[in-house]
Amino acid sequence: MHPLIFVTSWVLLGTMFALQDWVLATRSSNYHVGLVLLIKAWGVQYFIWGFIFWVAWNLLGQRIRRTELLPLVVAGIPISLLCCILEEMIWVACFPRLPLNRPPMPYWERLWFNLDAELVDNLVIFWCTFALFRGIGHYQQLREKEEAAAELRTQLAHAQVHALRMQLNPHFLFNTMNSISSLIQIDPASADAVLEQLSSLLRMTLERGEVQLIPLNEEIQFTELYLAMQDLRFSGRIRQEISVEPELHDALVPAMILQPLVENAYTHGFSKTDREGWLTISAKRQETRLQVRVSNSGLGLLPRTVDRTGLGLDNVRRRLLLHYGEEQSFSIEELSGHIVRVTFALPLSFGQPELSPLTRYGVA
Amino acid sequence: MIHAILTDDEALARAKLRQLLDDEQDIKIVGEASNADDTFSLVQAVKPQLIFLDIHMPGMDGLDIAAQLSSSGAPTPHIIFTTAHDQYALRAFEVHAVDYLLKPFASQRLASAIERVRKQINLDAQSAGTAANAAAPTTQYARRIVFKSRGRIVFLPLSDIRWISAEENYVRIRTANETHLLRETMARLQEKLDPEIFLRIHRSSIVNLQFVREVRTEPDGEYSVILLSGEKLGMSRSYRARISDLLTNH
Repeated sequence: MHPLIFVTSWVLLGTMFALQDWVLATRSSNYHVGLVLLIKAWGVQYFIWGFIFWVAWNLLGQRIRRTELLPLVVAGIPISLLCCILEEMIWVACFPRLPLNRPPMPYWERLWFNLDAELVDNLVIFWCTFALFRGIGHYQQLREKEEAAAELRTQLAHAQVHALRMQLNPHFLFNTMNSISSLIQIDPASADAVLEQLSSLLRMTLERGEVQLIPLNEEIQFTELYLAMQDLRFSGRIRQEISVEPELHDALVPAMILQPLVENAYTHGFSKTDREGWLTISAKRQETRLQVRVSNSGLGLLPRTVDRTGLGLDNVRRRLLLHYGEEQSFSIEELSGHIVRVTFALPLSFGQPELSPLTRYGVA
Repeated sequence: MIHAILTDDEALARAKLRQLLDDEQDIKIVGEASNADDTFSLVQAVKPQLIFLDIHMPGMDGLDIAAQLSSSGAPTPHIIFTTAHDQYALRAFEVHAVDYLLKPFASQRLASAIERVRKQINLDAQSAGTAANAAAPTTQYARRIVFKSRGRIVFLPLSDIRWISAEENYVRIRTANETHLLRETMARLQEKLDPEIFLRIHRSSIVNLQFVREVRTEPDGEYSVILLSGEKLGMSRSYRARISDLLTNH
């Protein structure tokens, strides 16, 4: 606290005592004293206290907060006596004409007279303030601890989200490399095409870097590439459809949130049957929320996948929770006709839209 | 026959290109180089029409080679850049490269780049034939556009665009077999497009007249534009009068 504010509040406290004294004096018949003198006397006394406590807090604040209670009291007794006497010594020196209605006395006699009257009062003031300091100290410590804990929680969440993304990439990367490997022998041209698309995917991922939330449009472009790769592997027997409400192109979503859902649809829905199938992705606005749905035909929810939804879906769920806490929702359900529908919703927020620095027009 | 040379400091990269170009009947590889000096002497010696140019090479890089070739005064070969890095795309665009292939690329992507070279060579031949038009009509309208889409660099000739639709802050550009979402406004895009070719038919669509088959009146009195591909686009009444004029002139 600023010393000026600290000392001024003490002087104000003294002034209030002075007013109280004055009110008492006006009612009393045998005791008359001027208001100015009272304010001066009380004001100076509390000014001295304010100054002493401010110095004490700056010199000893850390120790008052940290020391155990018993040694604090033991050490406090001589200090409190010293402070009380010191305060009185200064005050007496400031007001040589006090006490009123008495013959003039030498300094030591006046000091003794005042200590006799006020030592206990002073001790009470000292110890109350001492206790207050200790309380404020504890409160500050508690706040600092809480802030540190919150900071830690955020850092932990960031680290977890980061780790989850790392977990996603290699998983997907190696699966793709495996399909390229098998295509190299039987269909070199397709192997080439998948490799090209994989490179594009990696380029997008690298460019994105550590950014956790990206515009939906980028996530969709990423998913389109992924879908194109799957399309090659499934030789076009899965009809794919993406519909995004135009106003949502810039809505922020966690990076790589769709790919595990699409992958899940392919591994559980399509790869176990050779029938034709379909997959749709839709993004809709629901007032202040963004709702994304991935639905696919296929075999429906296998009993196994209901409780153990697999690494991919679990990742999606955990990342949504880490980013949005209670404000998100995630569900997986089976509709009639073995249709599986995954829905998640999150609070709608928009990124700072930036123009691509690359887009240019050329006349030649 | 299109005579082409390959410049890449990596032998494997050249081998890959040679293998992919095997499928293109009208491309003949007339030389290979692994650095700038060899490229310059090769260009002088064989006068190729097409050069595949790697960007990252020890010594002089592909962009500098391209710049020097075009400033030499001799007819410049058409350039297709091949590189693993996308950060040079703008400079490549500015030196009038035909295309910018990001390694690794598949045969399809290469084929589309070569198709563009064929078109340009044909155009060059035509304009050379009609000597009267030798002074090329100077136009302020863009002929092509560069942007990034799905991790790829696209050098798109505007004549490949069939139609464009607005999606809030974005426009969707539709070519024969792809769509690209681009952060751009309809108004700004329209400014760049030649009004003789691209026509606004609706608040949220622009159509390339070269791909329009007919304008039809619907039973409910509304108008629609039918593209050669069979796609049907709605047309606002306010744009109706203009399109009739333009279609009768074409």
